[in-house]
Amino acid sequence: MFAIRPVVANVTTRSVGCQHRNYATLKEIQLRLKSVRSIAKITKSMKMIASTKMTRAQKTMEIARTFGATQTALFTNADTKPTEEGTTLIITVSSDRGLCGGIHSSVSKASRKHVQEKPNSQVVVLGDKAKAQLSRTIRNNIRLSFNQIGKATPTYTEACAIADTILNEKIEFDQAIIIYNYFKSVISYEAETIPVFSESTFSKSGNFDAYEVEDDVLENLHEFALANSIYWGLAEGHASEMASKRSAMENATKNAGDMIDKLTLTYNRGRQAVITSELIDIITGASAI
Amino acid sequence: MSFAWKAAGISYLKYTQICARAVRNALKEEQRLIAQRRDEQGLKFAKWESGKQGELKPIDSAMGNVSV
Repeated sequence: MFAIRPVVANVTTRSVGCQHRNYATLKEIQLRLKSVRSIAKITKSMKMIASTKMTRAQKTMEIARTFGATQTALFTNADTKPTEEGTTLIITVSSDRGLCGGIHSSVSKASRKHVQEKPNSQVVVLGDKAKAQLSRTIRNNIRLSFNQIGKATPTYTEACAIADTILNEKIEFDQAIIIYNYFKSVISYEAETIPVFSESTFSKSGNFDAYEVEDDVLENLHEFALANSIYWGLAEGHASEMASKRSAMENATKNAGDMIDKLTLTYNRGRQAVITSELIDIITGASAI
Repeated sequence: MSFAWKAAGISYLKYTQICARAVRNALKEEQRLIAQRRDEQGLKFAKWESGKQGELKPIDSAMGNVSV
């Protein structure tokens, strides 16, 4: 949509041609200027939208992070270790929307790496963009894909619905890892993973005795842990996406501005050339009389 | 410890969702409208069978069909 073609170079070489052509190219530049201007307007407003959404997303993310940290603390204190031979479920968290830099390829790349290490792992993709990228390479590992994600700030209801669907599909796994974009700052993000362990893996963990839990509760904990981690991943991913969209749109607006400057310059030069040659025509005509 | 809702075939996540809905419904008018917006989800999912994407289906908000 915002691809920038080096049309300026073409126009200048052609404008040296005859008078008639010159007029047309001037018009071409004018049209191009107009379209670049409107694109700049669009990208600018998209940037504004992304910034407002980012502030909201950041607030949600900070809350989700607290929940996530609590859960990570449980697994750390219990000294839960992933089993070597166990099966892994990879949950890739991205979204449906594009125009936000390398957000989707960063998580896809990380997921691909995990699949290469453990070829028998199963993949659940959240979001259309990552689905398109992953379906090219690890199509056979994909078990479920979700879309309509990332339209608004993610809610816990969504995370619950996703986790419930995954559990209902009876996908067997000993360990789930959620690959999401960790929101480092407004300008940087990084693909990170959250581990979620199944009941059996958790009950085998080193410090398991420190907690007095009954068997029934374990299953609930597992379900909650999955939904909670997905929510955390979604919230972080959404914040990173909005931040990255903001900077992508900012760059696009800046580039469009540069292009407008260049095009205006070429346009004015061309206009002056036309005037000069017309003047020369008149003067030579006059002196010939 | 055993759970009555588990015996009825409701998962923990569904159970929490139902409870959450009950709390949301009990809120005062202004807060309720804001809170109920968080209850909606329009997610769709598709099953994949040996590298082929299946039909795209909306997630059955079975949680919504359970009367509270």
